Amino acid sequence: MNLPMDVFNHEQRESIWKRYVKEIPDNNYFLTLSCILGALYPGSESMVPKVYDLLGLDWNTNPSARSGWTCCSGIAYHGDIMPIEATLLTVARLWSIAQELGLDSVTMSCVTSFGIHCECKDLYEQEPGLKDKVDRLLRDSCGRKFEIPKYINHISDIYYHYRQELKNNHMKFQLLEEKTGRPLRVVDHVGCHYSKLFPEEHSLGGTDYCEVLSGMAQAWGGSSIDYPERRHCCGMGFRQCMISPNRGGTMSSVLKKMRSMAPFEPDLIVTNCPGCEVFLDKEQWAIYEVTGEKYFIPVITYQELAGLLLGWDPYETVGIQFHTVPVEPLLDKIGIPYDANSPWVNCSVPR
Amino acid sequence: MKKTESKSQVCPPSDKPTENDSNESINLIEDVKNLPPWFQRDFNLSKKDQELLRGYLDNLDDEEIINLYYQLREAKEIRNDRYFYPNMQILFGTPFEREKDRREQRIWAEKYEAENEVIQWYKDAREKSCVWWVENHIIARHCLNSCMSCGACSALCPAAEFFDYNPRIIMETVQEKDEQLLVDLLKSDTIWYCYQCGSCKAKCPRKNNPFGMITSLRQLSQIKGYHVHSIRGRQQYAARHFWGGNLWNRACTLYFRNVESETHKDFGPRFEAYDKARDDFFTRVGACPDSEGVLSGRKVHPETLDEVRKLWQMGGALYMWELIEEAAKNQAQEWGMTIDEYHDKVSREG
Repeated sequence: MNLPMDVFNHEQRESIWKRYVKEIPDNNYFLTLSCILGALYPGSESMVPKVYDLLGLDWNTNPSARSGWTCCSGIAYHGDIMPIEATLLTVARLWSIAQELGLDSVTMSCVTSFGIHCECKDLYEQEPGLKDKVDRLLRDSCGRKFEIPKYINHISDIYYHYRQELKNNHMKFQLLEEKTGRPLRVVDHVGCHYSKLFPEEHSLGGTDYCEVLSGMAQAWGGSSIDYPERRHCCGMGFRQCMISPNRGGTMSSVLKKMRSMAPFEPDLIVTNCPGCEVFLDKEQWAIYEVTGEKYFIPVITYQELAGLLLGWDPYETVGIQFHTVPVEPLLDKIGIPYDANSPWVNCSVPR
Repeated sequence: MKKTESKSQVCPPSDKPTENDSNESINLIEDVKNLPPWFQRDFNLSKKDQELLRGYLDNLDDEEIINLYYQLREAKEIRNDRYFYPNMQILFGTPFEREKDRREQRIWAEKYEAENEVIQWYKDAREKSCVWWVENHIIARHCLNSCMSCGACSALCPAAEFFDYNPRIIMETVQEKDEQLLVDLLKSDTIWYCYQCGSCKAKCPRKNNPFGMITSLRQLSQIKGYHVHSIRGRQQYAARHFWGGNLWNRACTLYFRNVESETHKDFGPRFEAYDKARDDFFTRVGACPDSEGVLSGRKVHPETLDEVRKLWQMGGALYMWELIEEAAKNQAQEWGMTIDEYHDKVSREG
């Protein structure tokens, strides 16, 4: 059936889309890293400075012993052992370090941190007098001063911003099946605290049509899968995953997503949230043990995806050995070489 | 702006090993394979070991335990051309570290608490009603505009799919402003089921923020000591030492050694194999396991740690931890167990 041409009002669509497009600066990034990502996928974290350097960007993170970056305290806040004032102060100190370095764009690898920085900014805007109060407390406790930064961007925003440059000038591979040229089918899982907390102000594409990851995947040759539970939370849940008797809720959420996406036969899942990465990857094993259902769909971070397509060493740089679901089958599809004698190849999952 | 060089291997200048540094660590722990019970993270210690560890810790005065902890933590050797701190992996999450934290934080609170407006606000709030809290706490105030009980929050709530949990009912309870209903809610497991994902906030037609309200209620529950009435609530004692211990001692909420294959069997055999070579692989991808540096696993410099500790004290975190500690101590006494046994019980319960 041919649809009449005026079914879609493209001008209106573009005008709506503009509400969800935020400004991403080209350069001068203050980098803060992630407790979860660093603990479980350290290769993803180490590759961020390498990509910033590859793009010739100015960035910094840790100017002196006193001005070291720390956790944003987000897990402790959402895990309810940290009053908001302590979190406001922790974030204010990080902003103060960025300003000490003359950098006006704070970039972070953690989606919880991204949400926390955005929540702090929003609170300052909504609560008269709060900025002055936190200013005073910060000065009294450690002699620092701070301003609300001009830009708060997740590092996936920066990768999205430079997606074409990375592809055109640096990448050696694309998200295509080597043998057939078929675009690989990509499930994007965007962290809730990236897309759901401030969809109009801080998410590329809002909650429902967020394209920070699908935009990257499509630019790099893949095709994006839309499936019913695409926007469902992974179930990480802070106290749900980290206090082990509660982890059943996490596994149930992952199972719901896996059952929903499986009919679309994804080649990979790509994430921008460290917590989602951990549990979409690890709980596939738990699901197999508890239900016997074998999904074993590789789950990789956007940093790992970029690193692999850039031709960086899968084990020594990207760190695919940190994954529960083997990533090697994905490398085979794309044609990325790896050491076939690696002990990890045999340390696999049942077929 | 001058182009900066790659920072991935930068250490604060004063921490680089010099030619005069020897490669010998101070061996303060004699037998790392047979650690005494106060250095064990085993939740199944025998009654005899529990008594032994409590006797040992009670015999140390504040100065002794704090000094011993830092002597152990700061012992270092040179590995891969940078300082490596071998005892950090022994100390984290142990009864020894928890006892040191209790005493050190009490000393900090006494030293810095005077004239603190944030702590004073929470102290005053503790004496007031729960209704007063939901009308005055900064987060609660910003989370509720005018809920029309449409139920959109519950319809798409992932926690509501799997638990006896309904954010719509919680928002209705808050709006009732009935003290007894609020107290009952704060003593129940209900508020602790929320995933804190924010799906509810994204879809609320009135721009309310149910998950933010839950955060505020959870904090109130702990400030009032109501959380110990529920299984999920008293898990906060484990959380206070897990996340709080990591923050206080390592300036991160998750330490890279927390995720051990022994306690994470659900992570599968590949994770178990990787876990055995963790330090090697961390180093090879450029991370800094228990070493100087800026990337994953790094040991945070004492000057940085000192700064953020002051912020957490100033921001009321230490006061909240003190209240969680007090509620746990009282319940442990009531149940006839040591605080260490109580910690292990609430960590496994659920």
